Amino acid sequence: MPVRILLVDDHPVVRQGLRTLLEGRSGWEVVGEASDGIEALDKIENLQPDVVVLDVTMPRMNGLEACRMIQRKQKANPEVLFVTQHDSPQMMREALDAGARGYVVKSNAARDLLEAVEAVSQHRVFTALTRSPQASC
Amino acid sequence: MKLRILLADDHEIVRRGLCALLQKHEGWEVCGEASDGREAIEMAKQLKPDVVIVDIGMPHLNGLDTTRQLLQHDPHFKVIVLTITDSDQVIREALDAGARGFVLKSDAARDLVSAVEALQSKRMFFTPRVNDLVLAGFLEKGHAISRNEPPNLPTLTVREREVTQLLAEGKSSKEVASLLSLSTKTVETHRSNIMRKLSLHSIRDLVVYAIKNNIIQIQMPPQLRSTTETTVV
Repeated sequence: MPVRILLVDDHPVVRQGLRTLLEGRSGWEVVGEASDGIEALDKIENLQPDVVVLDVTMPRMNGLEACRMIQRKQKANPEVLFVTQHDSPQMMREALDAGARGYVVKSNAARDLLEAVEAVSQHRVFTALTRSPQASC
Repeated sequence: MKLRILLADDHEIVRRGLCALLQKHEGWEVCGEASDGREAIEMAKQLKPDVVIVDIGMPHLNGLDTTRQLLQHDPHFKVIVLTITDSDQVIREALDAGARGFVLKSDAARDLVSAVEALQSKRMFFTPRVNDLVLAGFLEKGHAISRNEPPNLPTLTVREREVTQLLAEGKSSKEVASLLSLSTKTVETHRSNIMRKLSLHSIRDLVVYAIKNNIIQIQMPPQLRSTTETTVV
């Protein structure tokens, strides 16, 4: 089964960078993009992705709020993986509490993203601050 | 002849996005990628690109100081500054540093190609916000840009600014010495001079100075639900 991925970030250039990285992996498909949390919720409803790659800081609705809404409201139940510039244990805890399955720091996304998507698509937790990538069941 | 572009941004994912955007344009090639300002300067000296695109908030040497040093080395370099903020002070410093283009990162997908095209045609490119500021400066004071307060930066030498950024990033004198190929004693001397010139009394003061003067940049996270909670991960 292919892994269907939705990219959510307010910077189109970042979405493009994530897309080029993810589309290199056979069997994975980027099915859509959104630029804020509200647009993401709409796209999830329509596109039913398996994994949502979500930024934290975005206009209109930030990633944490969007993640909580996904857990509460969406019929589809995609796994959420945060890709953020906030390299902080506190923010990571907040993301996991909001229901995310993964957390990757943007500066290391090129190193960690593929492994993280692989893990969360199999419903495993993947968290990585700058110095300590960890995957667990 | 292809137009050769050097990209400098500390996030590989952003460089990938910028590469994809620029390489769609026939006749352009990304000749190199750097992940901080110091690497960008070395690569620019070696590769002699037609255009250098620098992120403003890079570690070790920020984009503004990178621009200043590049143009000090060779005034013919054409630099576009990429930034997440278009505050008056950042715009002013980018212009003072000699940037010929100023593009917001959030608008890069729309504006960056236009900016490179402008530089290719020996013109400049700035976001509309910069044009407004420059015009307001002319109308109000008869010179390029209004200055509400004089920038503090010129009181420091190039080397002192490099040392200021590295100390504000949390590096020890020994680490700074290693990064800049200096002795620890020389770094300590620079550090004392910086503190004296700026009338600072602690590293905390230095960090505040570096943030206020765009030597380092921080982005505030959204309000956390439990900001006082102790977190162990």
